[in-house]
Amino acid sequence: MTLPLTPVWFVALPLLLAFASPLWVRLRLLMPLLVGTPAALLLLAFVLLPEVRTAPLLETIVIAPPLGIHLQLDSASWILVALISFAGLLTNAFIWLADGEPYLRDRRAFVFLLLLIAGCNGMVLTGDLFNLYVFLEIAGVSAYALSALRRDASALEAGLKYLIIGSVAAVFFLFSVVLVYLQTGQLNLAAIAVGFGEIPGPMQILIGLLMLVGLGIKAELFPFNFWVPDIYQGSHPAVAGLYSGLLVKVFLFVLFHLVFLLLADPKVVGIWLMGLGAATMLIAEVVALRQEDLRRMLAYSSLGQIGLITLALGFGVEATTAGGLFHMVNHTLVKLLLFLTAAVLLRSFVSAQLADLAGAGRARPLAAALFVLGALAVMGLPPLSGFASKLWILKGFAEAGVFWPVALILLAALIEAGYYFRWIKVLYDPSVQLQAVHPVGRLAYAPMAVAAGLIILLGVAPFLVDALFSEGAQALLDRGATLTAVLGAGS
Amino acid sequence: MSWMLRLLFLAVSLSPAALLMAWDADLSWPLIEGVRLSLTLTPLAGFFLVLLALVAPLIALPMLRRPSDVPSLVLFVLLLIGMQLLLLAGDFVSFFIGWEVMTWSSYLLLLRSPRTDMVTSQSYILFNLASAFLLLAGILVFYSVTGDFLIRAATEVSRPQALSLVVLFGLAFLIKAGTLPLHIWIPRSYDQAPDLFSAFLSGSISKMGVYGLILLLTLFPDALTGFAGRFLNGPAVGYLLAWVGVITSIVATFKAISQEDMKRLLAYSSIAQVGYITTAIGVGSSLALAGALYLALVHTLVKVLLFISVAGIVLQTGQRRFNDLGRLIERMPISFFGVLIGIIGLAGMPPLPGFAAKYLVFVSLVDARWLLLLAAMILASTAAFIYCYKLVYAPFLGHANSPEAREAREAPWPYLVPQVILMGLLVLFGLFPGLAIDVLIDPVLVGLQMAPIGSESWAKLSTAYGGYDGVVLMLVFGTAFALVTGLFLLLRGRMRRAGSPHDLSFAGEVPTAETPLHYGAGMGRELRRIPLVGWILRQGTQGFYLGLAGQMRAAAALLGTLYVGRPQTWILIAVVVFALSLAVQAMMGGL
Amino acid sequence: MHAVVDSLAMIAVSYVMGFLFYGFYRQLNARVQRRWGPSIWQNFFDNMKFFFKSETLTHGPMFFFGPMIIMAGAFTTVLFVPFLKDSDWLQGFSQYGNLILIIYLLVVGPLGNALAVGSSGNPFGVMGVTRGLTRLMGLEVPFFLGLALVMLQHETTSVHAIMAAQDGLANWGLVTNPIAFCVILLPFIASQNGSPFDVVGAPVEVYAGPRVEFGGRLLGVLMTQNMMMSIAKLVLVVDLFMGGATNILVLIGKAFALFLLTTVVSMVFPRLKTEQAVDFFWKVPLGLGVLAVILTVWLPSWSA
Repeated sequence: MTLPLTPVWFVALPLLLAFASPLWVRLRLLMPLLVGTPAALLLLAFVLLPEVRTAPLLETIVIAPPLGIHLQLDSASWILVALISFAGLLTNAFIWLADGEPYLRDRRAFVFLLLLIAGCNGMVLTGDLFNLYVFLEIAGVSAYALSALRRDASALEAGLKYLIIGSVAAVFFLFSVVLVYLQTGQLNLAAIAVGFGEIPGPMQILIGLLMLVGLGIKAELFPFNFWVPDIYQGSHPAVAGLYSGLLVKVFLFVLFHLVFLLLADPKVVGIWLMGLGAATMLIAEVVALRQEDLRRMLAYSSLGQIGLITLALGFGVEATTAGGLFHMVNHTLVKLLLFLTAAVLLRSFVSAQLADLAGAGRARPLAAALFVLGALAVMGLPPLSGFASKLWILKGFAEAGVFWPVALILLAALIEAGYYFRWIKVLYDPSVQLQAVHPVGRLAYAPMAVAAGLIILLGVAPFLVDALFSEGAQALLDRGATLTAVLGAGS
Repeated sequence: MSWMLRLLFLAVSLSPAALLMAWDADLSWPLIEGVRLSLTLTPLAGFFLVLLALVAPLIALPMLRRPSDVPSLVLFVLLLIGMQLLLLAGDFVSFFIGWEVMTWSSYLLLLRSPRTDMVTSQSYILFNLASAFLLLAGILVFYSVTGDFLIRAATEVSRPQALSLVVLFGLAFLIKAGTLPLHIWIPRSYDQAPDLFSAFLSGSISKMGVYGLILLLTLFPDALTGFAGRFLNGPAVGYLLAWVGVITSIVATFKAISQEDMKRLLAYSSIAQVGYITTAIGVGSSLALAGALYLALVHTLVKVLLFISVAGIVLQTGQRRFNDLGRLIERMPISFFGVLIGIIGLAGMPPLPGFAAKYLVFVSLVDARWLLLLAAMILASTAAFIYCYKLVYAPFLGHANSPEAREAREAPWPYLVPQVILMGLLVLFGLFPGLAIDVLIDPVLVGLQMAPIGSESWAKLSTAYGGYDGVVLMLVFGTAFALVTGLFLLLRGRMRRAGSPHDLSFAGEVPTAETPLHYGAGMGRELRRIPLVGWILRQGTQGFYLGLAGQMRAAAALLGTLYVGRPQTWILIAVVVFALSLAVQAMMGGL
Repeated sequence: MHAVVDSLAMIAVSYVMGFLFYGFYRQLNARVQRRWGPSIWQNFFDNMKFFFKSETLTHGPMFFFGPMIIMAGAFTTVLFVPFLKDSDWLQGFSQYGNLILIIYLLVVGPLGNALAVGSSGNPFGVMGVTRGLTRLMGLEVPFFLGLALVMLQHETTSVHAIMAAQDGLANWGLVTNPIAFCVILLPFIASQNGSPFDVVGAPVEVYAGPRVEFGGRLLGVLMTQNMMMSIAKLVLVVDLFMGGATNILVLIGKAFALFLLTTVVSMVFPRLKTEQAVDFFWKVPLGLGVLAVILTVWLPSWSA
């Protein structure tokens, strides 16, 4: 029997492996599989890439019409799938190689990490509203659990808070799903898209708002993102890196996927989303100025970048969208790097407080250097990858002759510099002799080095990948093509 | 391993020179869709590349002295690469990339000094990034107007577009050049940076702002002639720029006089010198631009020379305040000559090339009929004599005022070699004022489609308003000096060396070792009694910027209260926002 | 050969004129104060006495070279000022220089000497230098502004060209550009270290000033250069505003007239403190200069 290489593996493989975890414990394969699974998925993504670039891959597993699992892998979702696999690979490799906290290396963590990957993949790939909700819950639940893994007060508190706010978000989203189903009788996204225009206007608004609040909470948009710093601070930095680098991106993608697919004229909500993005960005960057905890600071910085991406995607022009997708990828790389650095620093010096990290640059030169690199990239300074994507976004705005986002983005970057450079200065504070408390193995740096290498590579030679993002943007924006592809091939 | 690294570093430091000689083609490198970096060498950039090529190895040499700091070396290499990219840029994206690489690598170099404090590092990076982001905003406006990123004259711009471009680019470059009131980051950072790096900051990096300003002129061919009308015989816009420059010079000069620290004094002096350059750019005529370029050349040589000498003093004594030094002339004679030649160049005294540069600027001001500006510039450049004198008197003359100053030894050879080379260059350019015109400046002017200054011989500087001959001047002075000294020694009578440094004509008293005899930091203090100078010295922009930072932190605290740790609040806000927006929609759309 | 003889002649002329003028000044001053003053040759005698002192105290090489630099500076300055117009003689090397160069050359020597003063280690000397530099900062602004008006009037920095343009009394700078002359007059007096701007090195209760530590032959050198420099400045102003001179007698006459004018001003005013002097320069002569700029540069350009 030959196994067909289809998109379903992106969901199925991690699910299957996660459920078979007792077996892996017995075979002592837990850690290799933890890293191997996302690696395999990444490989699969690259195998499928040539096919995807010619036409979107559609796959339907019918259970009972209209119920079924409907997966769709186009250029846009391919980027996300590859990103998810890659982020999972890096984080899991770090967990394995850093040889750190046992609670991240046992069976439960294994299950939740793989489930998170499966859920995220599912959300990105699915072409069905109800499945979207299901995957959202899978990803959500595993995320709550990951937060609480450490079993101390702060972690449990973070997990509980996450559970509460996540459930509220899920409820909002579920309501919108129910309403859509009641109004159109459809759950297939493409079919809904066709029928969405016929729903009465006020109901459209209600559904839209419900979805916005539900996904807005998940995607950390202002004013629904007040929970973020607490959760990021309470979780292990590597896990927080996954939230910031992976989970948020997926929700953002879903949000915009729905916007661009359901609405005949996305411009109507685009301006509102841009406003939300701008507010998210500016407020988060300003608040970050005063943060004294590395994880909290990174959380706010992450919010700022999410705002920027929202701003870019909300504009709905190919250049900004492509830039926004590119920026998603860059931001994931950077935030993984930064959060993993935070993990190293946290383990070395037991604290992530600014005052306790003064002079850390001399005790942990490599980690500090990587932090500097990540900080430069997140601010979008050339020749690092953040610059290329930011330039792309800004160029898109400039082409359209719209300059207020440009001004805001640059202002936000300046504020961002205000706190990142403050941290850098403190890390290299010459007046303090800091001693590392716990050792960190050299291998732990390997995943970070990979991320750093990619940041530099994509910064110097972004032309290697720019076509992918252009195609992704086209796929995301071209509603008509998606509809004909799905409806022609599907029902 | 170690010496390989050093050799490699030295080789990289020579790369601007190599580039200058070997560059013969254009290079291009794709970035993203629709953005292509293209590298090319224009005459204007060539001029600044020459400056870089001169300075880089001279600063690299003392940096290599053991124990050398490997991260510093790496960062310096990055900095050099960034600056070369900036100078070679044929399009704005590569210009910006170079600009930014220069910004952050220089920032990280700044952190290598143990003296850098938080305010300094933050003001350095924030001002420079503000400059960079203004530049980027300008670039994007430029792109939206012309449709590509190439650096070329923008002919099709409308008036408001041109105005916004001028404001954005102008502010960006003025921050880098450090004109008032955007200079506040300079004194702190030049003072606290690693001693050798200060030389590079002042000598090379500040010139990039100048390069940008001149580049801005090329974007608008009529910017300085017909943009906003003319004032007397020059452009009205330039008149404003020129006043900005000259006020910068005046204020910075008086601030420099009141400094008590060698490096801070040099920092303010650097601001003042760049102020002159800004003034000259404002005049914008061919004479003035020649003057600006000449000033840039001289300032680069002089400031690198002075900062390296000062670095040598700091290295050998550990002291940098005027009060803690003195009488080093006998212990560090070569450094003394370095500083002496440096201040002669800095003060613009003939026969060194500083005079040629100032002469061109003065003449261009007369030519533009901007005499009040000329008077103001004279004020700054005469007042500069005081700090120049302070700079040579307080460390080298007078009385040694600290144990370190009493026991110091001459700086090590890696510090001396660059000084000697720079002294030689200054004397060379002083003897042959036409040399720099002919070889370095005229090609730039031709490249900018302006009338070249021309020189009948290298020894002569000639303009329509007259000129002078450097060789004759030097010969006359040298002969007179030899003659006078010779005649003096032929006279009858003997010379007696004073028995002790305290053997002084001291108001009828006999000073002892305890008598405070060193005038050091006190010099120029009484200048405060002059009403204008006192008023200038009382002003400052620091309060404004600190206030701004305080306001930002207050805003951060205020907004931070939104991010509370209670889930019920989060949910409440979400629900309230949901309900409110629904209500608003309902009212507007009639649900 | 011509150049050498010419140069020596210029130096001699300026020296002789120098001690005679100052001798006259001392006489005149004494008469105004109802004293019998010293002989008109007294300055020459004093100078020679210094030169033949048997012992001179020094404070190191730089202390010795300072006076040499200032002397060389004085020679150079003299040689770059054309003494006569339409003549081959008393020209020195003036065709290789210009007005701005001369202004700067006037400062080279004193700055060189300032090094010697600093090297002496006497704080009162350094205080004097600082005062001198401060006064220079004050006077140079209106002085240069006045000269700039002249440069603008003739559109050149060449002293020769400016002289050549003033043929006949009606074309003297004094007549065509009187306001510029008024602007430079007081700063000019200050640059001659004349009262009321002579606080630098003036006799005060504690002997202070740049020369405090010098004695013997070195003081002689300083005195010599001072006299020569004064003549160079006088001749320069004669060249710029009084049409220059075609022969040596006219030169002496015109320079003497100018000297008389400055002397009269000097004699009637009390001495100002340094900061008062600077403030005065920035208010009165500079204000006059600004007025001059508005009247002669701005208004014509706007009315045109």
